[in-house]
Amino acid sequence: MTNVTPSAVTVAIISGFAFIYMLVLLRKTLQGKFDLYDFLVLSMVAILPAGFALFPRLAYLISHLTGVVFPFVVMFGALFLVVFVFMHNITERLHKLERQNWALVQEQSLLALELKRRESLGEQ
Amino acid sequence: MTDLATANSRPNPAAPQNAEQLRILLIIPCYNEAASIGAVLAEIARTGRGYHTLVVDDGSTDATSAVAGAHSPVARLPQNLGIGGAVQTGIKYAARNAYDVCIQIDGDGQHDPREIEALLEAHDRGAANLVVGSRFIDNAGFRSTRLRRLGIRLIAFALNKLFAGGHITDPTSGMRLLDRRAIAFFAQRYPMDFPEPISLAWAMRAGLKIDEASVAMRARETGVSSIDGLRTVNYMIRVLGYILLARLARQS
Repeated sequence: MTNVTPSAVTVAIISGFAFIYMLVLLRKTLQGKFDLYDFLVLSMVAILPAGFALFPRLAYLISHLTGVVFPFVVMFGALFLVVFVFMHNITERLHKLERQNWALVQEQSLLALELKRRESLGEQ
Repeated sequence: MTDLATANSRPNPAAPQNAEQLRILLIIPCYNEAASIGAVLAEIARTGRGYHTLVVDDGSTDATSAVAGAHSPVARLPQNLGIGGAVQTGIKYAARNAYDVCIQIDGDGQHDPREIEALLEAHDRGAANLVVGSRFIDNAGFRSTRLRRLGIRLIAFALNKLFAGGHITDPTSGMRLLDRRAIAFFAQRYPMDFPEPISLAWAMRAGLKIDEASVAMRARETGVSSIDGLRTVNYMIRVLGYILLARLARQS
């Protein structure tokens, strides 16, 4: 295993980014803009790089175990996986919402029609 | 002109089998068809059959609702859902009001209301749950471009090869009759994309029987088709993909 470790500046920058980003996410979650699931998945963008920067020996171990030469490739692979899982769930939710919206729009127009029919019957 | 609006009364719970006694609803999906919908409704009234009608205004920005509303009940969708959403609104209306049969015809004047008889005769003849008005049995009336006809033929070939339940020649026809079973089926689920061919795939997968009746169609009176040129190829590829998906999907 290689023993190259990230410099203190790299660790500081990544940790700073992770901290600020997590704070922003937490704020938005508390405001109700994200739910807990969104918070956990989006926070991976901060947690994964921070994990690799703060625990370089663990990063090298993972890259060794997965047979990938560079730990950052493993990190980007993991990030892509998180993004794809998130996209998959968003697409599923979007399609469900589209279906619900379609049904609600139909229902509204049919109820309005029924109301109009009853009003005209009442007038007669 | 027959007052079609007042003709739409509450349903008779009995379900008569004779074509003369059937409660028939014509579903007319419209999007910005103010220029043609009045003439279509007048033509329907002239048939003298006393069909019940429902115009589904798919979020038009013109006076479609106002023009249609003078002759027929109008279900006005507050936003554009596309042809599938508009047609399913009509089917739900048919299901809730216990119609025996509903027939979809276009609001742009392409479909001659006198051809409805051909669909009803085909329905009377056999036990089909869904009757499609086909332009390609007698090849009468307006003909679309060669590329479109080729695409339609390919889609029909795919449907006939992959599903049992009927032989289809015109899978993209928007003139079709649904009986009670088909109404109940499509009130529950209806394809959002490419509804005409995909609804046939779903119906055949669900075991509904499909028949066709020869009808002549006219060139549209107003507007232009959204499927032309390269879009025809795009349409065809996507429809074939959906048909394959329908074949692979579990029967629901």
